[in-house]
Amino acid sequence: MDRIKPWLKLTRWRFFRLDDRLLLILIAVIVGNCSGLSAVALNTSIDAMVEWLQPLRHYWWAFLLPAAGAAASSIFLEKIVREGAGHGVPEVIYAVSRYGGLLRFRSSFTRLISSCLTIGSGGSAGPEAPVVISGAAIGSTIARKFGLNERQRVTLVGCGAAGAISAIFNAPIAGMVFAVEVILGEWTTLNIIPIAIAAVSGTEISRILMGNRIAFTHQVFNIDFIDIAASVGLGILAAAASILLTRLLRGMSSLCSRTGGPTWLRAALGGCVVGAMGLALPDVLGEGYHTTRLMIHGLYAPGVTLVFILLMAKILATSLTLGWGGSGGIFAPCLAIGSILGLTFQRALMALWPGANMASEGCFALLGMAGLISGMLQAPLTGIFLIVEITGGWEVILPLIIISVISTTVCHYFEPASFYLKELIDHGHLLRPGTDARVLTDLSVPELLEKDCIVVSPTMRLGEFVDIVKISHRNYFPVEDPETGEFLGMVYLDDVRPYLFNPAMYDAVVIEEIMDTDVETVHPDDDLPDVLRRMDEKRLFSMPVVSNNRFRGMISKATLLDRYRRELAVQTS
Amino acid sequence: MDKELFHIFRNTPLGRETLMQSVHFCRKVGAYPVIYIPRSTKFLMYFENDVVQVDLDESYLSDPPTARRHAEEIVAEAGLKPVFFEPKHFTASTLPDIPTHYDYMCCPRSISDLSHKIGLGYIGPRVRRIVKSAHFPVLITSPAYKPWNGITVLFGGSNNAVKALRLGIQLCRQSGCEMTLFTQVEKNDPDHYEEVIRENNLEAEVAKYVKRWDRFDSGTLETNLYEVPHDNLVIMGAYGHGVIRDLMFGSKMERIQATITNNLLIVGPNYTARL
Amino acid sequence: MQLTISEIAKCLGVPERTVRRWIRQGRLPVQRIGEEYSFSQAALERWARERNLSFFPPRVDRASQQTPELEDLQTVMRRGGVFYELAADDLRSALRAAADSIPGLETAEREDLYQRLLAREQLASTGIGKGVAIPHPRNPSGNTTKRSLITTCFLKNPVDFNAVDQQPVFVMFVLLSPSVKTHLHLLSRLTYCVRDDDFVAFLKTRPAPADFFERIARLEEQLVSAGY
Repeated sequence: MDRIKPWLKLTRWRFFRLDDRLLLILIAVIVGNCSGLSAVALNTSIDAMVEWLQPLRHYWWAFLLPAAGAAASSIFLEKIVREGAGHGVPEVIYAVSRYGGLLRFRSSFTRLISSCLTIGSGGSAGPEAPVVISGAAIGSTIARKFGLNERQRVTLVGCGAAGAISAIFNAPIAGMVFAVEVILGEWTTLNIIPIAIAAVSGTEISRILMGNRIAFTHQVFNIDFIDIAASVGLGILAAAASILLTRLLRGMSSLCSRTGGPTWLRAALGGCVVGAMGLALPDVLGEGYHTTRLMIHGLYAPGVTLVFILLMAKILATSLTLGWGGSGGIFAPCLAIGSILGLTFQRALMALWPGANMASEGCFALLGMAGLISGMLQAPLTGIFLIVEITGGWEVILPLIIISVISTTVCHYFEPASFYLKELIDHGHLLRPGTDARVLTDLSVPELLEKDCIVVSPTMRLGEFVDIVKISHRNYFPVEDPETGEFLGMVYLDDVRPYLFNPAMYDAVVIEEIMDTDVETVHPDDDLPDVLRRMDEKRLFSMPVVSNNRFRGMISKATLLDRYRRELAVQTS
Repeated sequence: MDKELFHIFRNTPLGRETLMQSVHFCRKVGAYPVIYIPRSTKFLMYFENDVVQVDLDESYLSDPPTARRHAEEIVAEAGLKPVFFEPKHFTASTLPDIPTHYDYMCCPRSISDLSHKIGLGYIGPRVRRIVKSAHFPVLITSPAYKPWNGITVLFGGSNNAVKALRLGIQLCRQSGCEMTLFTQVEKNDPDHYEEVIRENNLEAEVAKYVKRWDRFDSGTLETNLYEVPHDNLVIMGAYGHGVIRDLMFGSKMERIQATITNNLLIVGPNYTARL
Repeated sequence: MQLTISEIAKCLGVPERTVRRWIRQGRLPVQRIGEEYSFSQAALERWARERNLSFFPPRVDRASQQTPELEDLQTVMRRGGVFYELAADDLRSALRAAADSIPGLETAEREDLYQRLLAREQLASTGIGKGVAIPHPRNPSGNTTKRSLITTCFLKNPVDFNAVDQQPVFVMFVLLSPSVKTHLHLLSRLTYCVRDDDFVAFLKTRPAPADFFERIARLEEQLVSAGY
């Protein structure tokens, strides 16, 4: 056995390690397939669950269904798999930012099950975020099994996300763009190739299993100049809707956390209200793709007032489902709200100028979807490519770009951070590659420690100290208790310089009298940005690092600059 | 006094024993305890190539108002200054991240099950994962406070056993204890063990600190373990062989910990011992 | 060539911790095989060059890398030699005579050295008093000498050097050194000796080389024990 093992090891590594890039592409195929499978599984099971519950919808107590679903998903997450709260995408970005894409294996299935319970029972949420975290966790787990390094692992996490989005929408380009724009924030030749491969294999697996169906079949739209002008207005409206949805979601979750009581009960409460709305307006329930499809085809009958009410109801239902503890993503509700918004806008315009030669309402529904996605995620490219791909038509590209750009810009003005990133930015956890925060987080305090300081004792006379100054390269001298080794203070050369040339003081003064005991110190675990801010506040150029009352070294801006430059050079190429 | 031991405080009598054990260890080897009083029952530990979610049992959260005071009392009694850890980063709002740069970590035999289930049963799956991924040795305490004045290293000649021996030498140096080596001679050539020590340039240190070398050619491991001095800290390497062999033959770590009640210091495959 | 992590850290001028992190993050071109890492120096050098980082491979010959020890005054003086009865009647001819006496120089170098010694004198006198002068070129690093030397020149007739105490100079120590560091080191030791009045009196007797070096050696011992 002992003899076989090294041989096995050798072949395993030799074979794969021929080229790291080749290895990564091979693994990307596996990751793309797995995340594609998980997307297909979720889609199928939601469909099955909706089908299964359909007969119950006619009873008066059907409003309890979403409540039961939300409660079950909350109990499942909390008690059975002990997952953290939240819908998952921020967790993926957090792991990518801070821990080289390390995700737990359990994340690869937990959110699939919980969101299936929520959405299948009628909660207004999307299956995309759960699929993304599941794909990302699959990528991370596979990377761990192969013992890959952080950069490769992060790429595979992106592959998982790309495969998932590609599979669920049958849209490979949107998957790629989503992974790069939202999850990784970095576009390099190293990561784009595996991600593209994963997107292709994710799409392919869903096509094999579910057929090459385009979510919203291709329509031919005639776009005139007037439509492009109108899309400016729609862009602004889409931004307003995004902001409304974001604020409502946030308001709901803070209201929910103030309410108290067990989380499953809160989720059930939210589900109840959604269910009640669903009795009056069945279109608010679920992820809403059916309604969206009808709207794009121009087959949605209700009039403009009713559509407007539906718009508001959908926004409210989404914030109730997600804000009160249901499990699911924001992507599908965004598409649904966007299409309703587009429809409302077009119908309102037609009512105002009955003779205008405008494109069909289906076209505006599409534009509205792009507007909402761009506004909520602040990812304009994802919005544009997704709409182009899921409709299979390129004619709408011009108004699409305009509406995405306007919506993103306006939203950015009111909500500087997108829905996914808000929390991360608030806690300083968004570390995109090549940024200042990224470099400073990687360069931790222990890496910058300068240890060549000469320690002096508090009972040393100034004369002896002068001898030490002669052989030292530094201007700072930590003072330690010679017996316990405790850090007592610092002697700054600048403070004592005038007295060093006065031999009369050599025997008269001991270090204890000239040392600075009220020193600003740094702990090795401190975050570098905080340390730098303190240095700037106090106008310090260097600070002693102290832990457990022991002097560990100095940290100075001069060393930081040198190392910062190297780090930046290493990270950005 | 530079090494840090990470301890998760359980505010129960069992937790008190465990903390006393940690503090005793710290005083012996010149470390200081960093104490974490959990606020939620879950936390994450991000290692280099693994992330472990630890789900604590409810007893870790019992009676929060007194927890800090209790911990402070125990640590101060031993003449150490209590250092408390506050999580800075959160993966999700109820899921704090615990750093993994510590020099030692103290674990009860099981971290996720209720304390009344823990006899000398088994080592919980989370603790196993921690041992497997950690850069630090894991201190697995005996069920009740049990001071030790000597070190026993279980030396089986493997790579991990050499790491355990190195750690043992290091701790002997710091604590002034004497070392006992325990070897269950397996199929190997009897001279194999000396050779391993020679190859690793540990002869001088072994000669200096090892007072006794118990070698057993016959008898089962379980019966021979009776010879391990009762007042010793036992250092051993774990996971030298891989999962498949563990499944087939049973893990040796499991067998040892089920037999002796001593405090165990377990060295995982990722620990790098420096002398 | 195989390198260890600590060697790579030295080459790149970063701590080992950073190198380990770069490996973990997959930034360094390193092959990881099981628990071991394998580095290729050529790949690392290319990697560093592409990123504008400096990479200084560890020297094979460690001895040549080390900075030479600072030499004793006595050794340096022996290398420069002692010359007696130099005929000169003013500063220029004294310097010219000194430049001509220094051993192991080409003719062209002597002329150049003379010009530089003169330039330094014109800046400020090197006559440090008590009849002693320490002529040296203006910029030590411009010297062609690989090793420092001090040539001791006793003049036949004292010459006016425009010294600080206006005393005519009877002995010159011409100091040539390859670097600022050795220059300062030797200058500081020499001035310490000259501060001793007994030594100056001893110099006035124009001692023979053997006695002279022995005296210097003794003074130097004192000086080391005083902590210079």
